[in-house]
Amino acid sequence: MTGRDARRPVSPVAARPATELRLRVDPVACDGIGLCAHLAPSVVELDRWGYPVVVGHDLGRGEAGEARAAVRACPRRALWIETVQRSTVT
Amino acid sequence: MSPDALGLSARVDLGRDPRTGGRGPALLLRAVQLDRSGPADPWNAVATERLADLMDRVGPRPRGTAELIGVLEREGLTGHGGAHVPTWMKWRAALRAGGPLTVVANGAESEPLSAKDATLLQQRPHLVLDGLALAAEALGARRAVVWLHGADEVTRAAVQAAINERRAARTAEPLLEVVAGPTHYLAGESSAITQALNGGPALPTARRRGTDAAADSPRTLVQNVETLARLALIARGYPPTATMLLTVLTPVGREVLEAPRGTPFTDVLELTGWLRGRPPKAVLLGGFGGMWVHWRDVERLTFDEAELRAVGLTAGAGVVAPLPAGSCGLAETAAMAEYLASMSARQCGPCLFGLPALAEGVRLLAAGTATRRERIQVRADLRAVAGRGACHHPDGATRLITSALTVFEHDLDQHARGRVCPGSGEITLPVPRGTR
Repeated sequence: MTGRDARRPVSPVAARPATELRLRVDPVACDGIGLCAHLAPSVVELDRWGYPVVVGHDLGRGEAGEARAAVRACPRRALWIETVQRSTVT
Repeated sequence: MSPDALGLSARVDLGRDPRTGGRGPALLLRAVQLDRSGPADPWNAVATERLADLMDRVGPRPRGTAELIGVLEREGLTGHGGAHVPTWMKWRAALRAGGPLTVVANGAESEPLSAKDATLLQQRPHLVLDGLALAAEALGARRAVVWLHGADEVTRAAVQAAINERRAARTAEPLLEVVAGPTHYLAGESSAITQALNGGPALPTARRRGTDAAADSPRTLVQNVETLARLALIARGYPPTATMLLTVLTPVGREVLEAPRGTPFTDVLELTGWLRGRPPKAVLLGGFGGMWVHWRDVERLTFDEAELRAVGLTAGAGVVAPLPAGSCGLAETAAMAEYLASMSARQCGPCLFGLPALAEGVRLLAAGTATRRERIQVRADLRAVAGRGACHHPDGATRLITSALTVFEHDLDQHARGRVCPGSGEITLPVPRGTR
């Protein structure tokens, strides 16, 4: 993940959007089917039991595209994208 | 130190209570002793405080208004169910959403060693009910519920009798109800209570923040019963009671007591009979989902949540379980990990598969038969499981095991060389049998 992060353009805070996107998983709904890891390999890894571990950071542009595909494809509707207000991001 | 040195046995004017150093009225009428495990059925039961007695001691309850939130923020009231979240923050969050609100007094104590909530409800149900009524009024709640485990018969009878007494006295307040949930471990978890009161199963759910929840969807605010009792005193204008309710495992049973904030750990251990022979090897703080503290650290600590947090500890819901000298902390941890794995709601993969894997890993470490690969796997699984459940059940298990690997590091090393603790064959903590 570090390599990809390094390639993300660093812009001053003022130029960044007011909201950030995060990929979230509902572990109750998730059955560990694993489509998400195929569709969004940049932001989802599977643990040794086959359940998704999603990246904790805000989604970059390319990552957001992958994440949306994973959200749409999840048969359990266990994934969603959370909009985080800038003021609450720490 | 005698019981009176802590003032724990004295029955005094609770309004100006020397037991709390004058800092707010005490919560308990008296310390009680009970069995090492099982329901909170005290050996020395105290007569339940009547409504008139409560009013004599601390005065009538004021009406709950929106100003109470500011009072709670100023006085710094935090939750006493274990997480110590500032109460005013939860209230503000509850006020932000728009649907009908249910306020819950949570008395479902799932931690097997803890008995302080049941003790408080049995001794002073009206203090808790006052807090619940205050919260319901202040937040404009549609429902006000006392939530208990199904098996808490003694507690339920005490609370129901208190509610009946209030109705007979025509107390002006919202309708208060008692709801007994299932008895399983996670039935006291706040999202499980929320789901159950909205007609679903009493199982934890994940909060989907940032999604379009309907503006009129029902809201539920869950507060621990001790938190509400403290609130009922603060709302009357008393300073926040500077004590901690503790459930201490003793060599023969358990004792629920109220310790003034800042009481040294060693005072509580002496009072409960732990310092007559060889001192304990370590202390389990916060119960099965808590953490081990090495004896040499215990000697320096006091019961002050802020001080404990400053050194990376927390008293959680106030469970204190000393480990007798000669016992094996790894074997005890393995037994607790097995129990916690069996108590998973089996909903979230990382908990369903991770906790049994961890329990097995710790069992091998305790038995001294873990291979190098298995030892590494335990640490990898701790990282893989933490923070990945809908509720904090798996986090409690990983916290316990992580602390064991640190506090019993020397034993761990010895076990790995085949030198297993002589005491590892016998579990001294009262760990219930799991049902996995």
